Amino acid sequence: MRIKARLVACWVLAPAALLAPVFARAQSVQDLQQMSIGELADIDISSVTKTTEALSDAPGAIFVITHDDVVRSGATRLPEILRLAPNLQVAQTSASNYVITARGFSGNADAQSFSNKLLVLIDGRSVYTPLYSGVYWDMQDVLPQDIERIEVISGPGATLWGANAVNGVINIITRKSSQTQGGLLDVGVGDFQRSASLRYGGRINDDLTYRFYAKAFGARDTLTSTGAQADDNWSQRQGGFRLDWTPSSTDVVTLQGDAYRGSEAQPGAPDENIVGRNLLARWNRSGQDGSALQVQAYYDRTSRVTEDGGGRFGLDTYDLDVQHSFALGRRNEIVWGGGVRISRYDITGTPALQFSPSSRDLKLYNVFVQDSFSINRATKLILGLKLEDDPYSGLTTLPSVRISWKPTDAALLWAAVSRAIRSPTPFDTDVVEKIGSTTFLMGAPDFQNEKLTAYEVGARIRPSSRTSVSVSTFYNVYDDLRSIEVTPVSFIPLRWGNLMQGYTYGLEAWGDYRVAPWWRLSASVNLLDKHLKFKPGASGLLGVQQAGDDPKHRASLKSSMNLGRNVTLDANLRYVGALPDPHVPSYLELNAGLGWNLSKRVEISLSGFNLLHDHHQEFPAPQSNAVPRSFTVDLQWRF
Amino acid sequence: VAGLLASILWLTAAPGAKAQGTALEFAVKATYLYKFAPFVEWPPHAFPTAASPFNICVLGDDPFGVVLDHAVEGQRVGEHPIVVRRLPAAEPGMSCHVLFAGGSATQSPADMVRAVTGQPVLTVTDQASGSSGGIIQFILQDGRVRFAIDAAAAQASGVPISSKLLALALSVRR
Repeated sequence: MRIKARLVACWVLAPAALLAPVFARAQSVQDLQQMSIGELADIDISSVTKTTEALSDAPGAIFVITHDDVVRSGATRLPEILRLAPNLQVAQTSASNYVITARGFSGNADAQSFSNKLLVLIDGRSVYTPLYSGVYWDMQDVLPQDIERIEVISGPGATLWGANAVNGVINIITRKSSQTQGGLLDVGVGDFQRSASLRYGGRINDDLTYRFYAKAFGARDTLTSTGAQADDNWSQRQGGFRLDWTPSSTDVVTLQGDAYRGSEAQPGAPDENIVGRNLLARWNRSGQDGSALQVQAYYDRTSRVTEDGGGRFGLDTYDLDVQHSFALGRRNEIVWGGGVRISRYDITGTPALQFSPSSRDLKLYNVFVQDSFSINRATKLILGLKLEDDPYSGLTTLPSVRISWKPTDAALLWAAVSRAIRSPTPFDTDVVEKIGSTTFLMGAPDFQNEKLTAYEVGARIRPSSRTSVSVSTFYNVYDDLRSIEVTPVSFIPLRWGNLMQGYTYGLEAWGDYRVAPWWRLSASVNLLDKHLKFKPGASGLLGVQQAGDDPKHRASLKSSMNLGRNVTLDANLRYVGALPDPHVPSYLELNAGLGWNLSKRVEISLSGFNLLHDHHQEFPAPQSNAVPRSFTVDLQWRF
Repeated sequence: VAGLLASILWLTAAPGAKAQGTALEFAVKATYLYKFAPFVEWPPHAFPTAASPFNICVLGDDPFGVVLDHAVEGQRVGEHPIVVRRLPAAEPGMSCHVLFAGGSATQSPADMVRAVTGQPVLTVTDQASGSSGGIIQFILQDGRVRFAIDAAAAQASGVPISSKLLALALSVRR
């Protein structure tokens, strides 16, 4: 799951995806500025163009958040940046936490159902937790200025990416250290949050560049739905580094790591402390014939501790992945690989929440192969198969079939059928919850994979050089979704079961229109309809709405302007439809930002978030708090 | 937010880029235009003062558009700030350090180059758009933007080129 640090667009062009050395160096004019004249002479403009086209023409529901989008948004933390992807549902639930999902299944805190069907990667490191398959968003941070791009796929990516890529994949890719040379000091002061970051990048010799950074962040309390202080303020510090070494024209070696520590207030409970660190090494080799090999290994440690004996866990992950791509004849592009991941966790529960056993080693193995076969110049058939050996459910087969047809340069039609699973986690199998001395809920040792078969059809059209449109539709069939079942006669303990099934369908559309060279408008519309039901014999407890409280409609409108050479003005309006059960009213909100380059080295920006209301609710109360209107003034100095 | 709209996703649609070339191709060529400078020696009189601008002139058809402005943004040649000047044709008295001869309906790229022959101007032409005659000539080879150098013409014009740059050239005419 995956080394795919490079490109989500693997579907079309996995081999090119691994041609990282040249591609990653040549993203923008800014990057070209950093290059020596010898490096300029070495940029393969044809392969880059091919890859770039592949990205925009990938036969899937992919949205790419670019570096400029990230920087212009004024957002300082990852979840806020992810609001830029129209194919993600992002709901802030407290000062530090968010529910983020694609194509529904946001969960329901009352039913202990948590959003758990996304795969999230930061530079190839998987960051969803194997403990319950969700993401601790408060533990994931990247300097916005270091982000090269974020690729967001809605829909399954399991064949290439792995078991948890059920409803979507978020692939966060940071810049190479050669692209982040020099110093950067960024101080943001706002009424809701403050942050300061320092980054320095340098060059040891022609082949070896580095950067390191440190960041501190703090946010004050949000408000509860009744308007009281929610006591959820938090702060976090993080630091890290990245080294890129190019020992030859065909090899790139990357070593990078981060460490962080944070503290979060919890209403009516002692503070929770979060601590983590990771170290990743990656080697890319590109062959003369267009083949590419990537070997990646990482170690990741995360832990959360509630003070005063309120429970803790520690999780160590060791991961090794290998991926190789090459052309077979003139028509086949093959990518294949495999990996192993060991997750070792240790949980100290509380009287009310325990895990039995409290520690385990989870071993996950996978091998996969994908062939992209050119039927003719316009048509490609992409067949993929992944075998995954999961510690709970054993061997699983994850196939996918995808076809793309590009009749002209301006139009691409695609269709896909794929299978994905969410495999069992300790939370599904081992949890023991008590009320007093009575066991109230137990995990099910025989918990099954949650299964998805997804049918997708989409199109990308470029009606003019100024306009681009992407439309994706999906029909997702789910089976063995988690439900709550009862013990015969005694009723409790309740147990997790797999007795929910159903289907969802929907549409995701977004487009861009360049009104003028200095003005871009973007818009998006999302529709989602869920039809879930319980299987015969199910208890029906808490209803099918426990799977997710998802809006049926979402839409956004964004304007990005360059006013002269030194001033940028951005506005981003978003509409989120009502959440059905528990009911949360629909809302319309606006983020806006003004950036001003005072000089080459100094930039000041003013950002306003959620400007239309004093505060608004994005997820059901009382588990979730209201999101306040906030402002930030940000000063950036490059040296 | 320097280098706005700079990413390739944007460049692909950048107006001004000629249809036959890709955005990246012209971004690379635009970057070359000022990256050549450290390898070229201009006579002292080419810069009246230390603060005089370093002029990159684009004559006739401009294949770069806004990409060139972004490419030179924040860059200097020695102490000289870089200024991009766009002129419809070669004209007497124009002050250029680098001259990209884009050609026009009335003046061929070769005519533009001839107009400054003997003056300390680094002339650049682009084989991909059918022009030639510049001291430096862009050539596409194996999907890369390379160049040939007419070192003799450079010498004759009073803008000698360092051997380091000559070593990177596909071919050198001495």
